[in-house]
Amino acid sequence: MKYFLSILIATVFFCAANAQKKAVLSEKKMVTVSSGNYKPFFVTKNNRPIYVAAFKMDESAVTNAEFLQFVKANPQWRRSKVNRIFADTNYLRHWKSDVEIGESNKKIYNSPVVNVSWFAAEAYCKWKNKKLPTIAQWELAANGAPKNFKYKSLTDFILDWYTKPNPRILPNVKSTYQNQYGLYDMNGLIWEWTFNFNSFIASRDSRDKSEADFKNFCAGGAINVVDKTDYATYLRFGYRASLKGNYCISSLGFRCVKDLK
Amino acid sequence: MLQISRKNFYLESPVLFAILLISSVLFFFSCKTNSGNSMAENNIDTVLTGTVNAELTFAPNVPKPLTYTSPKKVIVQLETIEKVMPISDSSEYTFWTFGGHVPGDFIRVRQGDLVDFTLKNAPESKMTHSIDLHAVIGPGGGADATSTAPGQSTHFQFRALHPGLYVYHCATGPVPLHIANGMYGLILVEPQGGLPKVDREYYLMQGDFYTKGKYDAPGLQDFDETKALAENPDYVLFNGRVRSTTGPHALQAKVGETVRLYVGNGGPNLISSFHPIGQLFTKVYMEGGTEINTDVQTTLIPSGGATIVEMKMQVPEVINLVDHSIFRAFNKGAIAQIKVTGPENPSIFQKLK
Repeated sequence: MKYFLSILIATVFFCAANAQKKAVLSEKKMVTVSSGNYKPFFVTKNNRPIYVAAFKMDESAVTNAEFLQFVKANPQWRRSKVNRIFADTNYLRHWKSDVEIGESNKKIYNSPVVNVSWFAAEAYCKWKNKKLPTIAQWELAANGAPKNFKYKSLTDFILDWYTKPNPRILPNVKSTYQNQYGLYDMNGLIWEWTFNFNSFIASRDSRDKSEADFKNFCAGGAINVVDKTDYATYLRFGYRASLKGNYCISSLGFRCVKDLK
Repeated sequence: MLQISRKNFYLESPVLFAILLISSVLFFFSCKTNSGNSMAENNIDTVLTGTVNAELTFAPNVPKPLTYTSPKKVIVQLETIEKVMPISDSSEYTFWTFGGHVPGDFIRVRQGDLVDFTLKNAPESKMTHSIDLHAVIGPGGGADATSTAPGQSTHFQFRALHPGLYVYHCATGPVPLHIANGMYGLILVEPQGGLPKVDREYYLMQGDFYTKGKYDAPGLQDFDETKALAENPDYVLFNGRVRSTTGPHALQAKVGETVRLYVGNGGPNLISSFHPIGQLFTKVYMEGGTEINTDVQTTLIPSGGATIVEMKMQVPEVINLVDHSIFRAFNKGAIAQIKVTGPENPSIFQKLK
């Protein structure tokens, strides 16, 4: 009986706390990315432009504060509880504790959550009844024309960001630029997980070394690339190719998408 | 007739059998020798006799000559680090490095060693990195096994089969950008008998750099893709910085000493016409291999290649080591120096009134 009561109290308390937190954070705004054709970066026998149906995308990356709600509601995703198969030892390492971002981290409450694995990102999106974007969706969305842009070109801007070290304190979401769809920070703030981040090279068995896959071989990597001067996209694909689902990296976060109803 | 032939057949068949047997045995042995040949051809010991940690040094220093005389398992660990550093007195650049320096750590192993290699990528890195060592025989020179995301590490082993001085570099796409940002260094594979003893050894590596601003423009300079594609660098440098190895940082030597330089060229684009002003190379291990040329004024170092040169110090002087495509030395930074001290030697050189 005592046991039952304590569970009841804990549950009520937890729900109350949760409701309180939810009241503080409004539901994330999503914007519509209109349908289009995504031209794959790597040309193979089988890939041709991919038709991408219109979809909804989070206007900005998921923040620390937003991810905290998820962790509170899903104890299996707490730092001390998470299975190493699903998140490596860097998982949420920048937080103070399991369920605290920390007073000293106040500046990053509203910054993108990083140090999260693909599995954690995927679980978060599912929890929100959303999904991780596919590479095609992400690339199509990120190709949206920037609004009020002061740089020479988007590629130039991205390349400048890629070639600068990470800032010590990650800026808040919506601190870079907005594009034609209303999306913020598609480049220039963090790297973002995609649903099929490592699928573009594994055309058959990923153990097959006979494929001249791009990630490995120096100049060989240029053979099948559409635009050899697009260094920004190159870096993005090189980055994705090195990832594994349980990696948690200090400049890698995510945002979610949803099908149009 | 039939009987005879049948008799013959029976007579012959054991012979036939024997021939078959002998030839198959021969075949077997020849196969065996063939498969053994890959090591035999290299004529090196490969039986390991212990484990050592490789001594690693940053330019201009070189690890001490190896003292062991049989193959070891050699542990090497490099870390890729992205870092803002001065490229000239007024300009800074975001270098991508092995070990936080350009060029990266000098690795010294011996022919026959089994190199146990770990590549770490610093957690603060923004990029994925990898390593292709030209001394490696295997997929991508190690690049295949070492595509390493920030905060992660990768691990592989290779056998140092061939002696020589080899370049290593990052091989993550786009490779030219990783190299242009300074991701290269040298690995020396000493021959089994070692290299002849000299008085001093130094490490130099040339590289070309492409920045949005002009040479020595103030502030942090971004990489310029257009200039890189046109192979038109703003900087051609030894050891990653204008005046890295001149004046107070010049290499030191004394009259009478023999100096050996391990010189690499990371590129990404330019071939170096490496020349010592006021000296000449008594010995050049051509392209870093085993063939030795003597009495050479200027030696070519291909992009992605290396050379070992030696000089006998005869008189006190400052030797300017340059890329003799001389605009690069005069206007783009391609000068390093050796300061030679000691007594004058008028029989070799004297200035007359």
